[in-house]
Amino acid sequence: MMMSNAKLNKVPAGDCPQLDINIRVSYQQFELAINLPIPLKGITGIFGHSASGKSTLLRAIAGLEKTLIGDITLTSDGVADKALVSKTLVNSEQGYYLKPEARQIGLVFQNSRLFGHLSVLGNLEFSVKRCKNRQLDLNEVIELTELTTLLEHQVNQLSGGQQQRVALARAILAEPKLLLLDEPLSALDQHSKTQLLKMMLNIQKKLNLPMLYVSHSLDELQQVCDTLLVLAKGKVVNFGNIHQIIHQLNNFDDPTLIHQQTSLSLPIKQFNNGHGLAVLALNAEQDIYLTSDKAFENQTQLRCFILASDISIALTEPSNSSIVNHLFGTIKQISHRKNKVLLTINCGSQEFFVTISAFSQQKLSLNSRQQVYLQFKASAVRTFIH
Amino acid sequence: MINSDLQALVTTLEMAALTTLILLIIGTPLAWYLAKMTSRFKVIIEAVVALPLVLPPTVLGFYLLIAFSPEYLPGQLWQQTTGQQLAFSFSAIVIGSVLYSLPFVVQPLQKAFEQLGDSLLEAGALLGAGPIDRFFSIVLPLTKASFITAASLGFAHTVGEFGVILMIGGNIPGETRVLSIALFDHVEAFDYARAHLLAISLLIGSMVLLAAIYWLNLPKRNNNKNLNQVRSIK
Amino acid sequence: MLRILLVSILVMNLLAVNSSQAYQSNVNDSKNEDNSKPLRIAVASNFTPVLKVLLEDFTKQTGIKSQVISGASGAMFLQIKYGAPFDVFLSADSRRPKELEQAGYTLKSSRKTYATGQLAFYSSSLSSNANSLSQLSIEEILSIDQLRKPSARFAIANPDTAPYGKAAKEALTHLGLWQAYESRLVKGINIGQTFTKLRSKAVTRGIVANSQLVLNNLSGVIIPSSYHQAIEQQLVIIRRSKQQAAAEKLSHFLLSIESQNRIVSYGYAQTKQVNNANNANNANKKLSELTAK
Repeated sequence: MMMSNAKLNKVPAGDCPQLDINIRVSYQQFELAINLPIPLKGITGIFGHSASGKSTLLRAIAGLEKTLIGDITLTSDGVADKALVSKTLVNSEQGYYLKPEARQIGLVFQNSRLFGHLSVLGNLEFSVKRCKNRQLDLNEVIELTELTTLLEHQVNQLSGGQQQRVALARAILAEPKLLLLDEPLSALDQHSKTQLLKMMLNIQKKLNLPMLYVSHSLDELQQVCDTLLVLAKGKVVNFGNIHQIIHQLNNFDDPTLIHQQTSLSLPIKQFNNGHGLAVLALNAEQDIYLTSDKAFENQTQLRCFILASDISIALTEPSNSSIVNHLFGTIKQISHRKNKVLLTINCGSQEFFVTISAFSQQKLSLNSRQQVYLQFKASAVRTFIH
Repeated sequence: MINSDLQALVTTLEMAALTTLILLIIGTPLAWYLAKMTSRFKVIIEAVVALPLVLPPTVLGFYLLIAFSPEYLPGQLWQQTTGQQLAFSFSAIVIGSVLYSLPFVVQPLQKAFEQLGDSLLEAGALLGAGPIDRFFSIVLPLTKASFITAASLGFAHTVGEFGVILMIGGNIPGETRVLSIALFDHVEAFDYARAHLLAISLLIGSMVLLAAIYWLNLPKRNNNKNLNQVRSIK
Repeated sequence: MLRILLVSILVMNLLAVNSSQAYQSNVNDSKNEDNSKPLRIAVASNFTPVLKVLLEDFTKQTGIKSQVISGASGAMFLQIKYGAPFDVFLSADSRRPKELEQAGYTLKSSRKTYATGQLAFYSSSLSSNANSLSQLSIEEILSIDQLRKPSARFAIANPDTAPYGKAAKEALTHLGLWQAYESRLVKGINIGQTFTKLRSKAVTRGIVANSQLVLNNLSGVIIPSSYHQAIEQQLVIIRRSKQQAAAEKLSHFLLSIESQNRIVSYGYAQTKQVNNANNANNANKKLSELTAK
């Protein structure tokens, strides 16, 4: 059996699935060096610029990167008793290298890499035929990925979004212990992106399949990830809760890495207030209004973000304004960057990030601990940058 | 066509079919190895494989004749293991043809494997397919056209081969006397009527063979055309 | 692949079946029915047609079946050195048989001259008035040709490698025409190729083997054998042969008076009896005249 040549160890009960990575991959111009345990819960985002080492990391985990030094161990649910087992994927010191086909790790590529000589169904069956201890129902996966009407199509006749859905379904049907996604949405239009993200979330929850999701687009990651790993120049810059990490990145010394923003995950209080606005509960006293969208339906929680440049500051409570969102808060920190100033403002327990010009900061003579009003339009509360 | 020519035809077809089969069996891994190879020795191996293209057949034939004779090591080894003399046997012309037609099979396959690249194989591996599984379920169906081309080129080139076979085969009826040599014999013997007949048969036979191959390859080409149209509309 | 094979086999078989049955099976070519192997005769291609005719009688007389392998003497010489399974070798020259003999590849004292080549001038442009040509001597013809068409290509076999070419050069030298002709020469690899050049009219005149003209019902002008050294075509029996008795019989048969006469009738010169003791008494027939037609 496939597992027999892998190194398996029982893990004490109570721990959660985890990927232990301690590797070094060297190329002429580039080195990836990572030493990190990644708990496998939900979807973990991996964010960074191109050439930050994101894809190399995924390839190393998948077994496609053959020249690495170090070791990777995957701890996941066992087959029979559901107890956790840990499996060494690679250990260069012992000369141990588990082939990709024996790792039980799935990978959805940027270019879907479907088999052109097979139909949609043929591509799915390719996985099913090679899956040992099958538990998933083919039809269930077909429904989850909305491929029912496309089964007989040739894969080259599909649109980009359809192709990625086939690739996703195909990867899931191999029943991996961990699914890797390497920029799966980067070639798609906005509509397909939203659709596929929803699908990924849905699948993640239904199948309880941990995912590592590589992207250079923070909005995508912000929508679906619970934790975020940030890579720059082959090194881990940051790792932790997605909102916290994004907020930490606001102060990162490379201003091109992200758009400075406030990243939120808030309960939906009202889907539609009668005027086309949805209402989110920020805290007991304050609400946030945003343009309602059909996609919010049936959701209790909403991921959204507000760009720091979309928020303005007033010293008195604004009245007679078309701007719907007014929040009251206390300036926690002021940091200067050339002609811009980044303000960190506490509204209750929630931090907000605001950029204003140095000129405005002087004019208003803003200081730490000063109490101010934040104002932003409903349309500034975003789920994606369009 | 008279009996001796018919016999030459049978010998030719047997030789070409066996040669093609052997070439596919050894040419496929060789082409694969070359396509994936990154070492600087690659060019040397490629040059060796291509050598029969530039080497005059009689030169190749001469050295093979020496190598296959019982006086030299390859011929000796053969004789020790099989009990038969290698030179001037059917096996000798098959081995000679394999070497002589090698580039015609290896080169199209190598091109096809290089074009196929690694991406689909990586995808296959991550879906649980091992190397042999990947070859038969991904590589073979996607490079089918190149296999047909390689096999037909190898076959056709072997049928048309003359110099090497004449040298190492010795023109022995029923054993190593093939069509091209029979044809040459007729010309040498001023038997132009038989020569013409044989030449026309060879010509028509080869044309039908090639046409059949192109016909076999046709449906796929059409599909691709349709696909391109679909893409351009999009 | 299988489909391709089937298609090609089918087509080729059809062609084979449909083609004319006028050509009857040649006994000498086909594989032996009984267990004993046929006598394998490697023969220089210029002699192949004559040998095949002679073998019909040989098989009738002795019951020995044979296989004729026709080719270039040089190639067959090499092949014999490297183990070719031939029993008898009928070379187009005497040099290769001698070399094989010296290197110990042949049966002792089996080397015999079985035919002597005869040169003839042939011109496709002059053949229509052949009668008037025959009135002239070869000296006159060649001199006139050189005067009239000094730039026309003239074919001979390569004097450095082919015995017929060497003899042609000797004859031209003997006639004092070598220098005049040297610049217009087209040299064939062997006499067969030289004749093909003339036959295809790629070259209109040249010196070829008289036997080639006879076999193709063409007429030329014979060049007297005294103008050049004899073109001795010799045979040897291969030492490795397992059919030496049959090979000896063939050798005897070819050197018999009847066979020799028939060989001469195909355009070869009378073989001198130096090598052939058994032929000594039969030198007086002037059969060479027959060959000029």
